[in-house]
Amino acid sequence: MLNIIVCIKQVPMVSELPWNSKTGTLKRELAEGMMDPASRRALEAALQIKENLDANICAVTMGPAMAEEILHQAKALGADEGVLLTDRRMAGADTFLTSHILSRFIQREYNSFDLVICGSQTSDSETAQVGPQLAEDLGIPAIGYINKISVKENTVEVQRHVDDFFETLSMDLPGLVTIDLSAYKPRYLALEGVEKAFENPDIRIIDAEKLGFNDDFNALKDSPTRIIDVFSPTTQNENRVLKGAVKKLVDQLFDEYGKVISSGMGKDLKTHEHDEV
Amino acid sequence: MDFNPCMKHQLIRKTVREFVESEIKPHVALMDKESRFPWEIIEKMKPLNFFGLQVPKIYGGADLDTISYAITIEELSRVSAALGLCVTVHNSVGIFPILKFGTKEQQNRFIPAMASGDSIGAFCLTEANAGSDAGGVETNAVETKDGFILNGTKIFVTNGGVCGTILVFAVSEGRDKKNYASVFIVEKDCPGFSVGEIEDLCGMRANPVSSLFFEDCKVPETNLLGKMGQGMKIGLIALDTGRIGIAAQALGIAQAAFESSISYAKERQQFNKPLSKFQTIQNYLAEMATKIDASRLLVYRAAACKDSGKAFSEASSMAKLYCSATAKEVTDMAVQIHGGYGYSKEYDVERYFRDAKVTQIYEGTSEVQKMVIARSILSKPS
Repeated sequence: MLNIIVCIKQVPMVSELPWNSKTGTLKRELAEGMMDPASRRALEAALQIKENLDANICAVTMGPAMAEEILHQAKALGADEGVLLTDRRMAGADTFLTSHILSRFIQREYNSFDLVICGSQTSDSETAQVGPQLAEDLGIPAIGYINKISVKENTVEVQRHVDDFFETLSMDLPGLVTIDLSAYKPRYLALEGVEKAFENPDIRIIDAEKLGFNDDFNALKDSPTRIIDVFSPTTQNENRVLKGAVKKLVDQLFDEYGKVISSGMGKDLKTHEHDEV
Repeated sequence: MDFNPCMKHQLIRKTVREFVESEIKPHVALMDKESRFPWEIIEKMKPLNFFGLQVPKIYGGADLDTISYAITIEELSRVSAALGLCVTVHNSVGIFPILKFGTKEQQNRFIPAMASGDSIGAFCLTEANAGSDAGGVETNAVETKDGFILNGTKIFVTNGGVCGTILVFAVSEGRDKKNYASVFIVEKDCPGFSVGEIEDLCGMRANPVSSLFFEDCKVPETNLLGKMGQGMKIGLIALDTGRIGIAAQALGIAQAAFESSISYAKERQQFNKPLSKFQTIQNYLAEMATKIDASRLLVYRAAACKDSGKAFSEASSMAKLYCSATAKEVTDMAVQIHGGYGYSKEYDVERYFRDAKVTQIYEGTSEVQKMVIARSILSKPS
């Protein structure tokens, strides 16, 4: 049997959240949570593997108690197990410590794994760091941004889109892959699945102590990186209406916006001013 | 007492919302404009159990509790009231009476095709001279040696144009020369059954509401639901259940109108500030939010009553009465907030406004709900 671990994350349903400047973390409790879209694709990849061979899917997430919801969702979609890594002392972990905590879980509680699947990046932080860091911590090979995977005995063959071509790679197991956001469109969840998942609502809850962290472990403090600021990129659109005689206006347009237009067209307008259009 | 939805109910809401937002919402305005029943969407809904919401798993259903059922209808109707109507009528007054009063043989014969969505259910009581006064039904059933022959015309049948399994109310003359109502299960290929023109209605235009004709329609004996003369009992229990669904549908319409109003009020600028900064608009929004919240509590309470096996007739009538009034009032306020745009088909609130009204009319008018509620409260010991 192929043992697959899918790392999933609960993310806020809204695109923007207030930021706590003291802790450098998002105020996640202000929004309803949902399964991160990339995590859905990672789970979908695992479900499709399971359709063709004997496999066990363990969905694991790290987060507050409310993150349990996405584990029920994963089970409703077809995962065999759900594991929640939760502890106040694990809150505020950066990607480095998050990867390490996930790695501890896998090594201590799930030593016979074959394949770890993660989404390429989560919608709330977009770092794309946890997958590769987790592989590093586990000491296994990793391939990122894949859009196709097939399991062949003790190896996997994967495909990914790089620039203008596809590359096909082979990797020994155990190994880790991250699924590209363009691949494995997730299936819709049937209502019967939700009902069934809650008929057997067992979710394993694992705290810091069970993972072997000592009493003075504090993820927020122990994280080697810290977020200084979180903001949404804004664009400044300026609409200007030029009024007056046409010739004068064209001169004014080129004087003020010539550089912008040149870069948009990929031509230096000064040297092409007599080109026929 | 806990007013917070449990994790399962939250997940039901998110599951339905995800599907309807992606697969139904982009098509709703055109479905309404063309009065078109979207078979291609129905095909996508079938494997997700929308047509067997509370049907036991042995018949291929999702076996949901009634709160999950109400949430599903609410979320579906928040995007398409016409499809919410199709699904709630199919599940509550189409399937539920067969599950409650049908024989094992009838359940095995009819429920799997209905639960999969291959056969859409309809319930027909209303006639030209019988609506709120169910005793005025004229469609008659004459017993023959191998079954019944039905004759009559039913009007305003929800899902009429697309139904495959129809519950028909008809009267038969008893030995005492009095008329007794019974319910018959008619399949669309029964000889003598035909579908009339699709009604040209104010709202819910994507639902093919139509007349149904029964002309010497031969129904086998095994298609009698319950016993002869049990029609009223079956009808009343079916309608009690149906009212939870219609209340949830009205709630979904109101919620949609409310959300549109919030976005519009924040966006639309007048006198150099957004509408949401004006106290008049804030008053509208506060009223809408309060009515919607109260409606939601009434629907879920009625659903919880049904799930716990308690009498739920009064609770479901209260929910239906209040939610339908909320839908009408909230959609009216939504149009008012949108001003001229709200009166235009370019904006969804125009459709919500048209869709809302009928929730005060079908599955028992508001006046009938008050009769049910009054009868219930006056029958209690004082």
